[in-house]
Amino acid sequence: MATLEDSFLADLDELSDNEAEMDENDGDVGNEEEDVDMDMADLETLNYDDLDIVSKLQKSQRYIDIMQKVEEALAKDSDGAEKGTVLEDDPEYKLIVDCNQLSVDIENEIAIVHNFIRDKYKLKFQELESLVHHPIDYARVVKKIGNETDITLVDLGDLLPSAIIMGISVTSLTTKGSPLPEDVLQKVLGACDRALDLDSARKKVLDFVESKMGSIAPNLSAIVGSAVAAKLVGTAGGVSALAKMPACNVQVLGHKRKNLAGFSSTSQSRVGYLEQTEILQSTPPGLRARASRLVAAKSTLAARVDATRGDMAGINGRALREEIRKKIEKWQEPPPARQPKPLPVPDSEPKKRRGGRRLRKMKERYAVTDMRKMANRMRFGTPEESSLGAGLGEGYGMLGQAGSNRLRVSSVPSKLKLNAKVAKKLKERQYTGGATTSGLTSSLAFTPVQGIELCNPQQALGLGSGTQSTYFSESGTFSKLKKI
Amino acid sequence: MSSLLLKTLTKKEEIDRIIRDTIDEVLVLRFGRCTDTVCLQHDDILAKSVTDVSKFAKVALVDVDSEDVQVYVKYFDITWFPSTVFFFNAHHLKLDSGTADHTKWVGAFHIKQDFIDVVEAIYRGAMKGKMIVQCPVPPERIPKYQLLYKDV
Repeated sequence: MATLEDSFLADLDELSDNEAEMDENDGDVGNEEEDVDMDMADLETLNYDDLDIVSKLQKSQRYIDIMQKVEEALAKDSDGAEKGTVLEDDPEYKLIVDCNQLSVDIENEIAIVHNFIRDKYKLKFQELESLVHHPIDYARVVKKIGNETDITLVDLGDLLPSAIIMGISVTSLTTKGSPLPEDVLQKVLGACDRALDLDSARKKVLDFVESKMGSIAPNLSAIVGSAVAAKLVGTAGGVSALAKMPACNVQVLGHKRKNLAGFSSTSQSRVGYLEQTEILQSTPPGLRARASRLVAAKSTLAARVDATRGDMAGINGRALREEIRKKIEKWQEPPPARQPKPLPVPDSEPKKRRGGRRLRKMKERYAVTDMRKMANRMRFGTPEESSLGAGLGEGYGMLGQAGSNRLRVSSVPSKLKLNAKVAKKLKERQYTGGATTSGLTSSLAFTPVQGIELCNPQQALGLGSGTQSTYFSESGTFSKLKKI
Repeated sequence: MSSLLLKTLTKKEEIDRIIRDTIDEVLVLRFGRCTDTVCLQHDDILAKSVTDVSKFAKVALVDVDSEDVQVYVKYFDITWFPSTVFFFNAHHLKLDSGTADHTKWVGAFHIKQDFIDVVEAIYRGAMKGKMIVQCPVPPERIPKYQLLYKDV
């Protein structure tokens, strides 16, 4: 099964390369895979006229053999299950496995034939293909219409829902197609018959498999249903192979890998054949992922029971199914109603002091920084620098001192408003010590009586001549000199 | 309607029993009539907060019209209905709400949260061993009244 799929994908990639093969493989009937290669190439070139080039399945030996066996088995309807023998040796079991593969092949074949019909019929009625999607319905409709130009004369009531019939009648009035030539018409009708034959054959095979599944894997079919069970067993390659798989693999058996380049695979739900089970179809979409995991797990257990043929009556399977159903129901029930909670007794719960990394990080924001620690300490013997100089402003402590490898202190002006006393002292320092006095300041004062007068600018500011300095000023001297 | 949820006491033994039997819980006794409108409002608030406060308080209503209960009415000097008296472990607790009478709460509470706050304050004070607690209700929500002294 997997190899076929892979070969299809490979073929789509190298479609043009296969043109050359077409001529060589004309006569080959037996090999299934090569036929398929050719068919893909044929689609591309649209160079075929004969249906038999396109669809060779019905003529292949394998197909004929298996169909024969199926007919026999259906007619016989044997139900003597040999409990003693190993499952794999049972000839019926082999037939089931073959039938699974065949049903997939038939499906592909139908698709190919559908393409053939569609391409031929496009000349007559192009829009029909977009109105009727299902290949078998399309084949039936084409067969019914034939070469008729007036669709209203054709009775499609039993084939399609009335809405689509209406759509068809309307579009047929405006279609630009023309009636087909006789030989093409014959080919098309032959292809339709072929498609319908294949469909009925597929149905037969599936029915057979379903009926036998109950005796081959009763527990598994009890959970997932016989059709899906048959598909799972077919893909796995046997009941024991299915039993050996872990449940996560069973979940994705049959998953169609649709992710083209650039699309994320997380948006796809990873469910395969299990998606078609009755259980999953009836669960609401929100719970599908959980339910699929549950069903996969339980069906793996059932497969293990079946592989060892421990329980041929299917009791285990039914019990597991019941369990699954109950669990899914439990997930869907609403949460219990909220009770009004009474207030806690005051002061009964001690305050929970929380610790941990988060609190420590928060506390770090308000902790004493290293810079501040250095500023708080002072060196012995050397006066510390301060922001406004001479003991005014903030002291810098160990910062900026030679010998300490800490920060240089940059002169960022503080935004604090200085109080009057400190401001005055700062101004005095500026005047006495500052080397950067403005060149435009003048010490000359113009008085009306004496004319030009040199005066001390500090006096104007009320600073005096340095006698009014602070206790700790480095430019100041003794504040009071008293003659003893 | 709310008095259906709260127990109504009519006899002296019932009151005695309930005061004795509430251990480590604040006992709230409302003295009043079930027909009075203010009493009804007060009872409504009490009934709504009973579940919230149920872990540390118990609420009961005393019908002031029965003769048994007149002893208590006289003892607590209850003249305005509804009046609420608070007990803890058979001790009568006083509540300083800025009014003249500290021994009881006179009138109805304005909001449920006020009542819960008062009960919590009483509980905390009682657990610490205090006999009088400060009222946490802001003064605009405390029913004001004038205490008239008669025969004094």
